[in-house]
Parts: sequence; structure tokens; C-alpha cells
Amino acid sequence: MHAHGLSLANINKHFGHFHALRDIDLQINAGELVCFLGPSGCGKTTLLRIIAGLEQQDRGSITQNGRDISALPPRERDFGIVFQSYALFPNLSVFDNVAFGLRSLKWAKAAIKTRVMSLLDLIGLADQARKYPNQLSGGQQQRVALARAMAPEPGLLLLDEPLSALDARVRQHLRREIRSLQQQLGVTTILVTHDQEEALTMADRVVVMNHGVIEQVGSPLEIYQQPASAFVADFVGAMNFVDSTLTSTQQAQVGEQLFNLPSPAGQQGSALRLAIRPEEVELCSRSGDSLPVVVEQLDFLGTYIRSHVHVPSLNQRLIVDIDPRSARALNLALGQHLGMRLPANALRCFAA
Amino acid sequence: MKLTATAAHAPFTLPLSARQREKLFWALLMLLALAAFALLLLGPLYSLLSKSVADGSGQFVGLANFNAYLAGGGIQRGLSHSLWIASSSMLIVVSLAFACAWALTRTRLPLRGVIKALLMLPILAPSLLPALSLIYLFGEQGIFKSWLGDTSIYGPLGIVLGSCFWTFPHALMILLTAMSHADARHYEAADVLRASAWRTFFTVTLPNARYGLVSAAFVVFILVFTDFGVPKVIGGNYEVLATDIYKQVIGQQKFEMGAVISVLLLLPALLAFVADRWVQRRQAASVTARAVPYSPKTNRRRDLTGALLLSPVLGFILLVVGMAIYASLVRYWPYNLDLTLRNYEFGRMDGGGWSAYANSLTLASLTLLVGTSVVFFNAWLSERTPQPKPLLALFQLCSLLPLAVPGLTLGLAYIFFFNHPANPLNGLYGGMAILVMCTVAHFYSVAHLTALTSLKQLDQEFEAVGQSLRASRWRMLRQVTLPLSAPTLLDIALYLFVNAMTTVSAVIFLYGPDTALAAVAVLNMDEAGDTAPAAAMAVTIMATCLLAKGVHCLLSLWLTRHTQHWRGRA
Repeated sequence: MHAHGLSLANINKHFGHFHALRDIDLQINAGELVCFLGPSGCGKTTLLRIIAGLEQQDRGSITQNGRDISALPPRERDFGIVFQSYALFPNLSVFDNVAFGLRSLKWAKAAIKTRVMSLLDLIGLADQARKYPNQLSGGQQQRVALARAMAPEPGLLLLDEPLSALDARVRQHLRREIRSLQQQLGVTTILVTHDQEEALTMADRVVVMNHGVIEQVGSPLEIYQQPASAFVADFVGAMNFVDSTLTSTQQAQVGEQLFNLPSPAGQQGSALRLAIRPEEVELCSRSGDSLPVVVEQLDFLGTYIRSHVHVPSLNQRLIVDIDPRSARALNLALGQHLGMRLPANALRCFAA
Repeated sequence: MKLTATAAHAPFTLPLSARQREKLFWALLMLLALAAFALLLLGPLYSLLSKSVADGSGQFVGLANFNAYLAGGGIQRGLSHSLWIASSSMLIVVSLAFACAWALTRTRLPLRGVIKALLMLPILAPSLLPALSLIYLFGEQGIFKSWLGDTSIYGPLGIVLGSCFWTFPHALMILLTAMSHADARHYEAADVLRASAWRTFFTVTLPNARYGLVSAAFVVFILVFTDFGVPKVIGGNYEVLATDIYKQVIGQQKFEMGAVISVLLLLPALLAFVADRWVQRRQAASVTARAVPYSPKTNRRRDLTGALLLSPVLGFILLVVGMAIYASLVRYWPYNLDLTLRNYEFGRMDGGGWSAYANSLTLASLTLLVGTSVVFFNAWLSERTPQPKPLLALFQLCSLLPLAVPGLTLGLAYIFFFNHPANPLNGLYGGMAILVMCTVAHFYSVAHLTALTSLKQLDQEFEAVGQSLRASRWRMLRQVTLPLSAPTLLDIALYLFVNAMTTVSAVIFLYGPDTALAAVAVLNMDEAGDTAPAAAMAVTIMATCLLAKGVHCLLSLWLTRHTQHWRGRA
């Protein structure tokens, strides 16, 4: 199958006075899976619908594989789409649902049959071809919706929160399945989700959006380890924030405490937010080079323990994730007095 | 280069993108629908309003006609009577319907389905049937005449009793819907908090049904306020607005006065309509997350109460229907009670006879065909195609307006509009076409709301998926939307058929010598003193509607059986 790239330039969209999308520029490469991630109302679904042609942008252009599709109605664009509600046609059998798009293209009967059966084989539902959507489980229905979208061999696959209606176990299974299917077929794919775990596990690249703008574009690892803004840092994964002031270009002061920064972070005297992931914070027995803390709350979360500690010298609480073995070594308990270190290379700095 | 070449080939092509062309196409179809509304609703209503402020020769006279009507005692006569009749019927019907709805939804009485079907029976009869039946029951030679003492059935008592009979199913339907949406968790909570049965009733049952109650009250009020059949047959000298219009127009040929009273009839109906819409909007806002459906537990005492509440209403309905059938079969009431089918030989009577019945069947069938397709197509157009907001708003207004326009008002408006010499369509007057147009317009709103509700229940993303799969909207309509809407189409078809069969008010001014109608024949035979044949015709109409309902049931059953595999348990 031939895969197409997609480029968005200067996309803007208003709903009345609400500026839903602001100057969106984005290049999506052929064959990659890109995730639009953000809280509800951030504009990710609107952007997807504009790419599909279901909404019309106020300004900006969309180019697919060199063709300007900005003004084309959905029917003349080249994409397949899967919705959260599946939107399978309940009065048509699984076979007819998947064949629906092929019949629009006037494929020959035999060719339709071959294509549909091979797709149903691929998603493991070949024996369910004569059944109707309401006779299938939610996960099966979602796979049929995927097969239906893929049948006409679109150059672009759009997935709008495809897994949100499913329970956790099915969701995890389908994530892997969709990803491997997408890689097998090599189709350029955009996945809209508010679930960061989904974005991080499935995407080649993640586009984090908020208030109608793109906050950051990057690989899952980049997004997690080098968040470009405090919003991204906070939205993807858990994050501790500490307000501070720069005493020199590479040293920040919090309360009485001085921290060395991994890189120059601005002018002396300017305000700065320091950020550190809970799993990067080290707890230890009290010693001279550590900050004294008091353990105030312990949540057992299976593979790790999330502890909330109060840091008197910073005058705030921080979250620390600690693995069970270290917790045993420390004899971790409520009300315990411990020491804490913030490794300089794990500190991230954001303008206040 | 390429551009100029294309332009040369098609000099009239507008410089539009494919997307704009598509939008334009659907907007044009919507404009077509709006044009039909202008022709069938707005134009006639405008003619009526302008007629009410003009004298006999067409000169504008301001409110002079209204002043003349008021000075002639119109308020004391028509308006106050109409208001009195409508409000007392409303009180009686709503309380009885509420009691019956409670008994049907909150008890485990046996045969609830059958009881409900019997309670709905009046909706299949023309409103003239209870009036005729009441004459046989309580009239000068009525079986129970002595029960009334000195009070005559001809007058307010008869009108209220007759109105209660035929409006009861309308109220019952609304209240059944309102009360079957109860949330079981509310009742369980009341139980756990040890509320007494009465307290539960007043804190859970009644508040949950309040919007239904208000809605039912408005509906009954409008129906009775604008009804013409019952007061015409059993009103005696007690004048109401509706009979006054008829008298002014048919009796005295005073069309301006007819227009004046029609406007007076329209205003309260319009007011009630707006109030009802307002209440319903609030109700929509108060609907919360999905409720757990309530199913009553066995409770002997409650079942008994339910039976006590249902029996009088059921008894009255069966008595009225039974009396009409019996009266239509009796040779010469009350002197010769031999049974005969003579009264069904309509050929011997004036009023149109069997050809009037045939006309009614034609009208009902055409209304069913034209109405169902137009209503559904327009609803689909508004709900499932891209439409500019102003057109959509205008369409919504037009499609709900008929609900507020009384049949008599609409019929009279049609005379003024279509009978006008300057109207190129005035050849339609007196023909079948205008009867179909008027009937479709008259009953448009309820059919439209039914279609709209069903379309809204379909997944909003079907159209988007269809477009991504390169299917045209027509193909989506044919292969997905229509099959999914089949049960709704059947319901709309039945509704239009039954109403076209039983209606009198809108068509009374519009039928011609060749297009006399069965329900009108009932009226005319009664007026000529042929009460028994009139009853026979009313019974024939009811039997026809019952048959239609039977066919509807069979088709629904067939549909359920043939679509069960994909509809599932629901």
C-alpha cells in the first residue's frame, strides 16, 4: 500500500468567540502513527475533524501527499475513520459493513469478497462475517470498525478516541493490535486521545495540545523526559513543581536551599519553576547533604508506593514514588523523619 | 490556461468549491421545503389575518371587525364558553388520565396491555361519535335521561363529557410516557428512608410526572378549545367559538367575522403552545444520567386501588363506544329495537353516502403516502444534512406551528388563500388535492416530532463514516437511515391515516360536491335528523381505523421478526 504524508499550515478555527484552534502547523510523515493528546476542549478532536473535512477551518491549508485538500468535502478526501461509538451500521452484517466503502468504489463482487475476508482474517473475525454488530462484544465491534475504515485502502487513518468505550483489559489488548495492524499496513495514522498511557505506548510521535495550540511535538520519550512546557510536564505523567529564584544563571534558590541546575536557565534574579518526576526523587536516612522530610501519606499502588512527604525547608509537599524494595530498606512508615535528595540532572526548569 | 478553457465550456458555472456546491444543493432542497410551508401554512394564515382586518369589499378597516364582534356580545357568548369548556375538560381529563397512568405503570394488575388498548380506543373514533352516543344515553329519548334530572345533555354538560371521551387518550399517552421513565433508585431510596406510600407518592411520583401533567393539560386544553365536532352535535344553543365560526361562515356567509373568530381561536392556542414548548425545554434540561427502570412489586392493596381507579374510566369508554354501535344497529330508536343493518345503507341518506366513505379512504391513504414521505424527508434534511442555521431555525418554527393552528382556522385560511381569484392555484379548491394538502399541514407537527426523535437516536457519526467511505447521502438514506427508521415510519403512517379519517374541523370548509368526506357526512346526517345513520357512519370510521391499527400491528410484528437478528433484545 502506498502511504501518504500530511501537512497542516496555519490552521485556525473559531466557534463563535471561542478560538478553538490557533495557528496550527504540523508535518505528519508517511507511515507514522501520530497521537493528538490533550485534555478535553483542547481542540484535538476539532483538528481531526478538520483533517477529515467534517469541519471547515477558517484559515489555513491542508496538503495530503502534495495535493491541496483544504476545500474538498470529506467524500473527495482520502481517509478512513473510526469513532469512539464505532458507528457500525446495525442493520448490516459484519461483512456488509466492511464491504460498504468498497461498494461505493464499485469494486467487482469477487474482489470485494477477497478483500473483506482477508481483512476479517487479519482482525481474527473471519468466522463472524455473517453476524450483526449487536451480536459482537465491544472490542470485536471496534475491530470491525477498524476493518471497515481500512477496506478501501485509505492513505490516512483517523482514530477518534477509539478505545475510550472499552474496559481496561480489552483496551490494552486492542492497543497492541491496532499498532501492529497499522505497522503491517504502513498506513499514516492519527489517533486522538486524552489517555496519556495510550499515547505513550502507541505513538511514533505525540502532539500535546492545550487551549487550541500545540504545546509540544515529539517522541513519547522526549515528551516524557524533556517536556517543553510546564503544561506538558504536568499533563504527561506526574510531576512535582517548586517555585524558586535564580541566584546565578545556573543556580536556583528555594527557601534557604540552593540547587545546582543542569544547564543555564535565565538571568539572575528571575523567577523559575523547578520540576522533578516523583520517581526521580531520592529518599534516604537523614544526613548532612539531604533535606529533612516527614512522611505524611502512603498509597500502595502495586508495583510502587506513592508517598507524600512534607518538606519543611521548602514549605510544601512533594510526591515521591518508591519501589517496594527501597521502601523495605528504609522501613518506610507514616510520620517517619527521612532525608531527601533532588538529583540535579533530573531537575527541569520552566519560566514562572 | 486550464482555467480559461473550463470557463469557456461552462460559462455559467459559479466559482464554488466542491464543498460549497454540496452545501448549496442541500440548502436548495431545504428552501424547497420552506417554500411548501409558505404555500401551505404561512400564505393561508397571512390571508386569514389580513381578512380579519378588512371589510367585505377588502378595504382595510383596522380592528373594526374585532370591535363589532365584541360589541355583539361575542366574548360572553363564544370566548367565555370555550374557555369554560376547555378548562373543565382539562381538569377532568388530566386527573383521570393521571390516575389511569398511575394504575398502569405502578401496579401489577393483570391484562394491563388489553386495558391500555381499550383506553386508547377513543383516538380511533371521530370526535362526533361520543356526542352521538351521549345523545342516545342521556338525550330526550336516552336510556339514562332520568339520571340527569332537569339538566339537559345538550349544552355544556354534553360538550364536556364528549370532549373528555375523545381527548382522554391524548393525555393518557403523554402521562404514560412521563411516568414510565421513573427511576427505580428513587423508590428504593424512599423505601430505605422508610417513607410511607403517600409520602413516596407526593415526593417521588408526582414531582417526576409534573412536566407530563403540564404538557397533558396544555394539549387537552388546545384540543377542546379548538374542537368543532362535539359542540356542533351536542352543544344545543350553547355557543362556543368553533361553532360560531361555522355559523358565521356557512350560515351567514360573513367571512370577515369567521376570520375574526378564527384569530381569537388561534391566540389562546398559540399561547398554550408557546407555554408548552417552554415547559418541555425545561424538562429536557432536567433529564439526568441514565435511570434504572422501575418495575412495581406485587402489592394486593395497590392493585385493588388501581382497579378501582381504572374501572369507571374504562366503563365510560366502553359504554360510549358500545352505545354508538348498538344505536347504529337499532331499527327505530326507541320504539323499535329490532337489530338491522339498514342504517348502514348510506345510499338512502343525504350526506354523500358510501362515496363519502370512499373519499375519506382516498384522502387518508393519500395523506399517509404524501405525509409520511414528506415529513420524514424534511426531518432527515434538517437533521442529517448540512444546513445553514437561519434556514434550520425557520424550518423548525414552520414544522411546529401547525400544532398551534386549530383545524377550523386552517380550513378557513385555506378558503381565503386558495379561493382568491388572483391565486393561480384556485382551481384546486373543492378537489382532493387541497384536502390532502390541508390535512398534511394540519397534522404535520406530531408526525415531524416523531420522525425527528427517531432520527436523533441514530448515531450522529453515521453520516461522517458514510462520507469517509465515499457513500452519497442518498445511499446512506436508502441503506442505513431508512431501514433503521422503518418502525417510526409505520407509526407516522398510522397517525396520519387515523387523523385524516376522523378529522372534521379543517376539511369542513374545503370539501366539494365530489369530495364529501365520511366524518363530514356524520355531521350532515346528524344535522338532517338521521342520527342513527350518523352513528353508523361514525362506527364505520372507527372500525376502519381499528382495522388500520390492526394492519399496523401486523406490519410492526413482521418488521420486528425480520429485523430481530440485528435489533437484538431491545
